[in-house]
Amino acid sequence: MITKKNILANVKAEDWSAAIRIVGGLLEEAGSITPHYTEAMITAVKEMGPYMVILPNFALAHAAPSREVLKNDFALITLEEPVYFGSPNDPVYIILAICSTDGKSHMDSLAKIATILMQENMIAKLIKADSVEEILEIFASDISE
Amino acid sequence: MDNIRIQTVCGFGCGSSLFLRMKMEEVLKENNVEATVFCGDVGTCLSQPCDAIFISEELLSRIEGRAKITVVPIKNFMDKNEVATKTMEFVNNFNKK
Repeated sequence: MITKKNILANVKAEDWSAAIRIVGGLLEEAGSITPHYTEAMITAVKEMGPYMVILPNFALAHAAPSREVLKNDFALITLEEPVYFGSPNDPVYIILAICSTDGKSHMDSLAKIATILMQENMIAKLIKADSVEEILEIFASDISE
Repeated sequence: MDNIRIQTVCGFGCGSSLFLRMKMEEVLKENNVEATVFCGDVGTCLSQPCDAIFISEELLSRIEGRAKITVVPIKNFMDKNEVATKTMEFVNNFNKK
């Protein structure tokens, strides 16, 4: 679902857009998107408002499927200090970035991730995680249940 | 009972609308309501046939007044109480028709 190289724990980000650039950068390095998609994720927050902060402390960053997406992928970062989107669910400690080539084919994987994230205390566990390994364990342990 | 069709709507129809869809499916299942829930984006949701649109309150202004069907704004997609109350209110009204 989320590969090890697409996760960073306790990163520093000045503000929400810097945080999206970091998580977008992971997808760029993975060869999943072009830098244009990262900018599109930032534009999406500016244009549509911070509704993407869909859980307390958690934002789902994404833009429309486009040619800037080279393959379906996910990336996740946790922040050392939270950022603020102007949402009732602020402050944000965790950002999950999604990119999808067609807006549909990534849905099964995202549903699995969503199931995990919507479990009680899951966000708190992720915020507390100190390393990528710990984050991977959280996702792995709850899939097998 | 007719199979109700509910569209959950977010900016692009492929992210947070899925979270809302999953939350609604959970609620509908618990209440033994048969319904089809599918995701849509704010740009095209009005042209998708359905009985109701559940949409983020922040995006409501983009479709308000243009929909011929019930539009239900949701403040917090993950607040099960809010989703359950609003979903069942719609379902009960729909079934009275």
